[in-house]
Amino acid sequence: MIETRELRRAFGGVVALDGVSLKVPEGERRAIIGPNGAGKTTLINVLAGEISPTGGAVRLAGRDITRLRSWQRARLGLAHVYQRTELFSPLSSRENVALAVAARRGPYRLFRAPPRSEYAAADAMLERVGLAGRESVVVRALSHGERRQLELAVALAQNPRVLLLDEPTAGMSPVETARITELVAGLDRALTIVIVEHDMDVVFRLADRVTVLHEGRVIAEGTAADVRGDALVHDVYLGKAVTVA
Amino acid sequence: MRPLVRWALVAAAAVALVTFPYWSAPWESTRFATTLLRDALVLAIFALSLDLLVGRAGMPSLGHAAFFGAGAYAAGIAGQRLATDQLPITLGAAALVAALLALVIGVLVVRSEGIFFLMLTLALAQIVFAIAFQWTAVTGGSNGLSGVGRPMLATLDFSSPDLMYVLVAITFVAAAFLVWGLARSPYGRALIGVRENERRMRALGYDTARLRLSAFVLAGTIAGIAGALSAYSTRFVSAQDAGLGNSVRAFVTVLVGGAGTLGGPIAGSALVSVIERVVPSLLPVELRISEAILGLVFIAFVLFARQGMVGLGRQTWLRVRSR
Amino acid sequence: MSLELVFQQALNGLSFGALLFILASGLSLVFGMMDVVNLAHGAFYMLGAYVALSVVQLTGSFWLAMLAAPLALALLGLVLEPLLLRRLRGRHLDQVLVTIGASLVIVDVIGLLWGRDVRSLSAPPGLDGSVTLIGGVYPVYRLFVIAFGVALAVAMSVVYRRTKIGMLIRAGVGDAEMLGALGVNTNRLFASTFATGAALAGLAGVIAAPVFGVQPGMDTDPGLLYSLVVVVVGGLGTLSGAVAGSLLVGPADTFGKVLFQDVALAVIFAIVALVLLLKPTGLLGRIRVAR
Repeated sequence: MIETRELRRAFGGVVALDGVSLKVPEGERRAIIGPNGAGKTTLINVLAGEISPTGGAVRLAGRDITRLRSWQRARLGLAHVYQRTELFSPLSSRENVALAVAARRGPYRLFRAPPRSEYAAADAMLERVGLAGRESVVVRALSHGERRQLELAVALAQNPRVLLLDEPTAGMSPVETARITELVAGLDRALTIVIVEHDMDVVFRLADRVTVLHEGRVIAEGTAADVRGDALVHDVYLGKAVTVA
Repeated sequence: MRPLVRWALVAAAAVALVTFPYWSAPWESTRFATTLLRDALVLAIFALSLDLLVGRAGMPSLGHAAFFGAGAYAAGIAGQRLATDQLPITLGAAALVAALLALVIGVLVVRSEGIFFLMLTLALAQIVFAIAFQWTAVTGGSNGLSGVGRPMLATLDFSSPDLMYVLVAITFVAAAFLVWGLARSPYGRALIGVRENERRMRALGYDTARLRLSAFVLAGTIAGIAGALSAYSTRFVSAQDAGLGNSVRAFVTVLVGGAGTLGGPIAGSALVSVIERVVPSLLPVELRISEAILGLVFIAFVLFARQGMVGLGRQTWLRVRSR
Repeated sequence: MSLELVFQQALNGLSFGALLFILASGLSLVFGMMDVVNLAHGAFYMLGAYVALSVVQLTGSFWLAMLAAPLALALLGLVLEPLLLRRLRGRHLDQVLVTIGASLVIVDVIGLLWGRDVRSLSAPPGLDGSVTLIGGVYPVYRLFVIAFGVALAVAMSVVYRRTKIGMLIRAGVGDAEMLGALGVNTNRLFASTFATGAALAGLAGVIAAPVFGVQPGMDTDPGLLYSLVVVVVGGLGTLSGAVAGSLLVGPADTFGKVLFQDVALAVIFAIVALVLLLKPTGLLGRIRVAR
């Protein structure tokens, strides 16, 4: 469904991605793990179209999307939940989600108020992520955990084929983490999910397969159990100097 | 307040506004109030268009007068060169020229944000001004364009000051209605989204560059119409109509009134018109300090009341209600 | 066009460019350090010219004016920065807006104090002659302007490269907190930077006066318009940007006026447009996320 070929990205002298190739088939849930600085967020940003790679290609459902901008990829069914909360602060939860719902139809309608169906769909999505009753609350008044739930609602409202989650449980309490994890676990199986995570419990709960990045390269790939037992991965996480062939 | 009641009040106010010269005639024979109100309404249309950019889309433009001036010149020049006074032609020319200019400038500035956007719009508009000031053959140069005809609509002649006022007032009501409709529409909401978090809007699938460009062109077109009305009213177009002073004036009006609201630009134009017209008439002629007063008022609002008069009003209302 | 004419216009272009540099450098400096686009810069330029007018009237000395005007403007800058800008630290857009208000006030006050007639200032004796150069006679004053511009550029370059302040500017450290952490008194630094920018604008006003005259409207044309075009084209916040912009806009404007007369500014527009399309931050500008 979504794949990359020999993806490269350098920032000046720093090489963030050094030939990353991966293939995530439709419906799979793939976790991307690796120590800090491994290039995980860069990879997500390249997949989302926010950064262009210096080499390599990205394909979505067989189509080359390397040259496409983020909004064009969104129209093709790619949704992205950022590491840091990126919502529309002065608007309510409902309006945040409604913006996502309305994106498909295009905004160039001047006089009519947004159709009730939009708000109804928004409310339904909010209920699904556990924010029922918080529809009219402005983003500024939401707790951190609620904002992350809202982020998920907004992304899901785009009706995506591929969902990119960049550290969705970052900064959350165990209760909030569990809630988000169950939410994601309960998502439609047809949805392809790529999730960057540090919390290994979350990874084990959610991931079908895991890709391990280190210094911009893929050093291991397999099921969660495989990766857990991999000695190389173990070393990398413990910070031992590793040379990757 | 029930919606029907609110609508009735608004309609009544609109009718009163449009028919002002007729019911004020008994106590207002010099037509000073009518002229003042007419010019304030032209400023209000101009400010409403700028608020689309500054207040809704988060695009702080300091070059909006370029479109006002372009519309004014186009209306005047079209009337003279095409030897016609017909409103659809001259006003249409104004809207078209302003829209095209906004498209050209828009394409250049739309990818910048914040202060950089402000500077670009300022610089480009200043160049438009300079061209208007120097292109004597077409614009009359520093002498300006005089002898702009009052428009006609079929047989309806707007030469009479009362009818000219009515034209301006009707256009104002239409512009206010347009802005109101826009604010509650998906388009208006999308503009707010672009203002608040453009990156996220793009991630949702919105072509934000096109959204900003469309807002820029729409705002420029309405400004051009305001400019045409100004040309018809004073029968004169000066290069200053496209100058920085006029852009600043509009910006001050929007901010002091309250950006992002319908009432803000309107309240702001009332205040600015008073400062510009009423205050000088109370002072000796040599003491020209209306600009300085405007500047001081502006500074005061930026420092202490950033949300403008409408925002202040809302705050006070909430505070009073919570007692 | 004869060779002599080309040479003359080239010199004109250079002297205009030098003038533009003196004018724009202050604007660029204040932005580079404080992230503020001082839209009162043109008003400062105008005030400098008018102050020079009075000083010359009182003392007859142009050179004294060249000292007094920048000093007066520096004092004004020292007053305005804490009064208006300090409260708005971090609110860059609002700081820019407040400078607009200031310019409105300053221009009206100038009108009150000096009247609204067109005035002029002659070049000082010693510099008011002409010199025979290749194919023609050329005013000495314009050569002086070129020399002064070069000297100023060199001086500023030295400050940028050899002093601590210069290093801070080059590093792009305009963040008050970071500067504080580096042990810098930010209030004093920002006030003096703003004062220096104002002084440079005032200096430009004095030096430009014999060439462009002293009249109402000079705050926008040439003042603000040209400084903005220079920094937009050359790049905001860097010394090299101001130099590049001036060297490009000066000659372009001069030749444009000779070749196209009425629509000379269309040439400038074309250049601005070209630069914006190719490199939105200006030729040598620094990308700043300034809101």
